[in-house]
Amino acid sequence: MRHKSFYVLLGISILLILMIRGCYDSEYMVNGKALDGIEVLWYVSGIVFQFIAAGMFLMAAMLSMRIFSRDHADGSLVLFLSRSVFRWQYVFGRVIGTWALCLVFMFILHATIFLIIWTKTGAVISGYLTASLICSINLLFIIACVCLLSLFMPDFISVIFTMGILFVGFISDGGYQIINSEMVRSAAPNVVNSDPALWRILYPKVFMVQAYAGSVISKSEFNNMGPFHPVLNLSFFILLLMTLMLIRFNQKEL
Amino acid sequence: MSYLGRGRCGLTVMITLNSVTKKFGSLTAVDNISYTIEKGEYFALLGPNGAGKTTIVRMLLDFIKPTAGSISIDGIPVSNPESRRDVGYLAEHHRIPSYLSGFEYLMRHAALIGLSGNDAAMEVDRVLELVSMKGMEKKKSAVYSKGMQQRIGIGAAILGRPKLLILDEPVTGLDPIGIRDERKIIETLRDKEVTVILNSHLLSEVEKTCETAAIMHKGKILVKDSIDSILKNGETLEDVFITLIDRSQTENE
Repeated sequence: MRHKSFYVLLGISILLILMIRGCYDSEYMVNGKALDGIEVLWYVSGIVFQFIAAGMFLMAAMLSMRIFSRDHADGSLVLFLSRSVFRWQYVFGRVIGTWALCLVFMFILHATIFLIIWTKTGAVISGYLTASLICSINLLFIIACVCLLSLFMPDFISVIFTMGILFVGFISDGGYQIINSEMVRSAAPNVVNSDPALWRILYPKVFMVQAYAGSVISKSEFNNMGPFHPVLNLSFFILLLMTLMLIRFNQKEL
Repeated sequence: MSYLGRGRCGLTVMITLNSVTKKFGSLTAVDNISYTIEKGEYFALLGPNGAGKTTIVRMLLDFIKPTAGSISIDGIPVSNPESRRDVGYLAEHHRIPSYLSGFEYLMRHAALIGLSGNDAAMEVDRVLELVSMKGMEKKKSAVYSKGMQQRIGIGAAILGRPKLLILDEPVTGLDPIGIRDERKIIETLRDKEVTVILNSHLLSEVEKTCETAAIMHKGKILVKDSIDSILKNGETLEDVFITLIDRSQTENE
């Protein structure tokens, strides 16, 4: 929050979002037939929701990668830890503070879309803001992952590694969802609906949280993979990452 | 000296190092050191580069853990952050985040020691006056000279009237007037029974400020005594320092 660049970025993002409102004024024709504008609006809003979340994942990772090294370089680490501050307080404060910043940023962008829809059509997508809050758990996972990895490897490599973890999850869970979708099953009924492998069930469910958020917006059924809800899955991983981070940071020599 | 148990009440010892060793791989930075520092004592930690002085300071603040032994401040093990509740620290390479002004930096320190609102502002004001930084406090630290940064750093260390002040090379980068002003600030604390640990290469300043000193070399204490006892026959602290270090180096060879 101390850098002007944060506010510049927020302002640019809101401007970009506002530019999208032009989509809601257009008339869409397919094969000579006019499409229902409201339906297009809802569809576009769902896509924009996921794009905003994806952009925030990258931003959260970039913000997190230099938390500890920047504090060490500019003297903030000594400022905190030379006082009666537990190391876990410092670590938690930094992680939760970064998460709160990203959450607010993402929520403002999602709320902008929500308000555009409301002002243009009078319709209220009741699950939109709730879905934004659900997505924030993904941000916390990314921040915790990058911060933990930055204690072991160069900052930028920790971001690459985390993005790699997300990419594998998106491919794995996304592929599974596509294969088991009604559209694919009706097009290719011979495709076997196999239970997912154990590693897929246990893998961090970032994509599935996004899918769950999408189902909250569209009020559609959510097809979970495995017995554990994705929010529960990610909560476990966040707890694990934070524990490992605290253990490592406690051992760190300053 | 009677030992009345743990905690703050009744102890005359501020710092206890008990058989402390610190190794970095095969390098022994601190080698089985034991000593105490009394409350209200102005204590100097002297030694050439690599003697282990800063390592001891970092262990006092729990920035690094000793390989063996124990350290306590006012009866509280240094692994407990409570031991730093009444401690002020000026780092050797002190830095203020460039996006903060001196005032903002001191207010952050005030918040960390539990001050808020008017109490914090008044205490920061008092300290700014003491370190002669009134009028410059609202400017970003990026425009401060080295001397100004040191003044703010000392201000942060004495904020909240600590019982223990740890100053690691506090006169680095200061001109003679700055050094004199800093000495004056430290002297004002003498009647408040503040314990001061001064880690410095400027032996002339140490002679003027401290009453006891320990001279270290290669992780070991060569001598720990009052400065008056260390100095003999009109010697300066610099003479004694060089003699002891030369002798230690010869013995090690």
